[in-house]
Amino acid sequence: MKPMKGAGYISDRDILIAVTINILGVYTLSLPRILAEDTTAADGWVGILLGGGVACILAWVVAKLTLLYPNKSFFSIASDLVTKPIAVILTFLFTLQYIAITSLQVREVSALAHQYLFDQTPLEVISLSFLLVVVYGVCGSRAGIFRLNALFLPFVMAGLLLIVVLPLAFIKTENLLPVFQTDFKGYVKSTYSSLNTFAGFGIILFYIALVKNPKNTPKMAVKGVMFNTILYTILYIVCIGTFGNSTTANLFFPTFDLSRTVEIPGGFFERFDAFLFLAWTIILFVHCLMAFDIAVMTIMMVFKKVKKINLVITLTPLIFFISMIPKDYVELTHLARYISLTKLTSLLLVIVLLWSAYKIKGGQTK
Amino acid sequence: MRRSLFTRVYKKSTNQQYESATQQSESEFNIPIGLTLKENVENIKNKLGNPSDLIVREITVSNKHKCSILYLSGLADQKLVNDNILKMVQSETSQSEPNTNPSGTSQSEPNANPSGTSQSEPNANPSETSQSHTNSNQSETYQNDTNANSSETSQSEPNTNPSETSQSEPNANPSETNKNNPKSSQSGVTQSDPNLLEMIEQHVIAITDTKKVQTLYEVIDAILSGNAVFLLDGVNTALVMGTTGYETRSIEEPQSEAVVRGPRTGFIESIDTNITLIRRELKDPNLRFDVHEVGRRSKQKVVVCSVAGIVNPDILNEVNRRIKTIDIDAAPDSGFVEQWIEDSFLSPIPQILDTERPDHVTYSVLQGKVAILVDGSPFALIAPVMLGEPLQSLEDYSQRWMIGTLLRLLRFLAIFISLFLPAIYVALTSYHPGMIPTKLAFSIAATREGVPFPSIFEALLMAVTFEILQEAGIRLPKAIGSTIGIVGGIVIGDVAVSAGIVSPAMVIITSLTAIASFTIPNYSLATGLRVLRFGLLGAASILGLYGIILVFIMLCIHIVNLKSMGVPFSSPIAPYFLGNLKNLLIRSPIITLKKRPPYLEPRDINKINDGGKSK
Repeated sequence: MKPMKGAGYISDRDILIAVTINILGVYTLSLPRILAEDTTAADGWVGILLGGGVACILAWVVAKLTLLYPNKSFFSIASDLVTKPIAVILTFLFTLQYIAITSLQVREVSALAHQYLFDQTPLEVISLSFLLVVVYGVCGSRAGIFRLNALFLPFVMAGLLLIVVLPLAFIKTENLLPVFQTDFKGYVKSTYSSLNTFAGFGIILFYIALVKNPKNTPKMAVKGVMFNTILYTILYIVCIGTFGNSTTANLFFPTFDLSRTVEIPGGFFERFDAFLFLAWTIILFVHCLMAFDIAVMTIMMVFKKVKKINLVITLTPLIFFISMIPKDYVELTHLARYISLTKLTSLLLVIVLLWSAYKIKGGQTK
Repeated sequence: MRRSLFTRVYKKSTNQQYESATQQSESEFNIPIGLTLKENVENIKNKLGNPSDLIVREITVSNKHKCSILYLSGLADQKLVNDNILKMVQSETSQSEPNTNPSGTSQSEPNANPSGTSQSEPNANPSETSQSHTNSNQSETYQNDTNANSSETSQSEPNTNPSETSQSEPNANPSETNKNNPKSSQSGVTQSDPNLLEMIEQHVIAITDTKKVQTLYEVIDAILSGNAVFLLDGVNTALVMGTTGYETRSIEEPQSEAVVRGPRTGFIESIDTNITLIRRELKDPNLRFDVHEVGRRSKQKVVVCSVAGIVNPDILNEVNRRIKTIDIDAAPDSGFVEQWIEDSFLSPIPQILDTERPDHVTYSVLQGKVAILVDGSPFALIAPVMLGEPLQSLEDYSQRWMIGTLLRLLRFLAIFISLFLPAIYVALTSYHPGMIPTKLAFSIAATREGVPFPSIFEALLMAVTFEILQEAGIRLPKAIGSTIGIVGGIVIGDVAVSAGIVSPAMVIITSLTAIASFTIPNYSLATGLRVLRFGLLGAASILGLYGIILVFIMLCIHIVNLKSMGVPFSSPIAPYFLGNLKNLLIRSPIITLKKRPPYLEPRDINKINDGGKSK
């Protein structure tokens, strides 16, 4: 049977959803902490807006770049612009990076579950069970991943809305004041940190080849980044307003703790963070799933004959072991920083490299 | 030569009965009908194992041509066979022998009442010149009947040329011919040639559904389907007449899908009746029924119903292709067909909807879906089916839209309860008691005081007990069924609690779960969810809420990868979005539901073209 319109391909809207959820990832949970460390009071929002702005431009450039070769994979674009060996190196760079991201997500989920749901269950059990579910997801179809995104979107949006709306009553204005007391270095640092968070748009580099009608994709990618910018700004202000700057800087997952301050009066559940835990697990899961999928995809770009299922089975233990490397939260935080650093640099490197190669070649190869 | 082949094969089949019976080789059945009537009848009898219900009526047409009518007594409508075949042939015979036969009544009666001449006789065909050289008895009869008023024999007729009587007769009295509905004149032939069979089919047999077959296979097939077969000596063609008629259940209200408001008709086991029920509702010339035969031994009719011009041809072709691949002995119910053609046999979720309601079928077909009817099953299949559709009842559309919407939301809540409630209870009581409000936690703890088991065993105990009760309730005779309800109610509700085996909270959870699962309009989905419920219970007992969330995610992964006839199962939500939610999550007013579901890619997307604005 011929594939139905919606079956084999993904649409612009799917990219929008994927970018949004992927940026949301694990960093949203810790972003207020990272920003609050560098800025005073609620000044971190400047960093978010600046970072978001830069990310918008980058996302647009990446989307435009990939659109020069519609429906072609990253590897074939790269080997066309810069020779094949370099393309192989670039592709594997991304493979390693996305394997690392997957591991990080797996570990973060278990950290979250360990901290808020159960303290006695071994970390390994939590991580492994999560990873196995991810493996189940990766083994399905790629278009299925995007359908999954769309299916999860209502849960994610409802969760985020709850996080933002419910603590509004607890905001103290003195926590938000004074404004603009941060030094220039603080702004630069916070901009950099938030840019790291936004680096999740990197997935369009790989997924845009699946878009059937990619004309509007750059716009959609930018929309996704912009949506997150606005969301982060609100979230940050609510978070600082509720906890104050110094408390936020010392909470490991300030966004999640935000939900724990609220009690629903007369509700069945005394703590509604159980619902939010669902939303966060879903967000982390989708992020992890897409990272794993890209890792598999990049390897398959180079080795075309490898079976997907074999690759997944090989990578799974590797990812599990990497995720178990960090000993505690401190090491985990460091790992997260290194990963986001490499993520951003590799993305910039690829953009600069490919774009300049394209300009040097004069854009003849269309 | 042909017969020898047959006998050879037949001998082989008797020698190696087992093999031939299992293989049913095609060559064995492609044997043409022989010329000798007796042998043909013998062959058919042997093939069928000389059954006691095979009726073989031998008669002689026009005193020389032997013929036989064969049918199975229980399958064919005997009255139809007697009145419209046997009587016709006999009266034909009797008329052809007026002198020898003492049955002068047939002659005298027309005289008395000219307009009352056996009208049931087929119209005369004046072009039967080939028989004109036959005995004059025939022409006499003819004239006596047609020129009823004259009541004279052929000798007194003005037509002098006896050899051309039958031809000239209609010319002589054309008006009377038309009026009196005269009989045919040409039943007698000297040679048994196919023309006689042709003539009998054309003029004698008073049955509309007839066809000629050439092979023994078709003859036996026809007999087994309830048709009557007319065999003529010396002719190697058999006449099959549609006389199928047997006892069927009357049309009743469907048992599994009761509604308060809506039509009360339900499908029955006879596929012809079911097709009629659909046709009665849809008087669209584009309504199509593609007929397949399924079942190596049962030879059931399977009909694929769709509306051309709406249905996406890709979906229709896929359904037809899959049905053609079915290779089973018999399909006692449409469930066999369903499981053969569904996309994923590993899934607990039905990918093809089953319904007993003709109105559901017509609604779905008009949406651009395809319905499959299987002979012998009162359950029609509807494909492709999408997420959320098994949760919809057609009654939602009969109600006002607000109550329809509320009912839909209620069903979502019910499906959530029936899936997750026991698991959440287990997770909360054994892993996260802190999440329950303090007072409630205390009262639950107090009720669980004497219970010796951990909550997962408690939950499993109750869930399994309930499943046993439910299964027993279905299997037991109706008279005893209510007893089970009472006993089960007491066992579950009262004694188990007072004996301290389970806590009252668990009883509430179990009964709520059970009741919630009965709100799902589709029985297949409800049974599928039972499996998932146990899976969730297991996950909750190992990993608490986290386990439930993981299983939920796995369920979602499964759903997005699931397809129904090649269409993604999650279509209403995932590739297409907001436009569908008004018919999925809520039931918005009828006039706003202007489009057919876009994920089916129907040929004609608009259900309502302008919402009646032009009027």
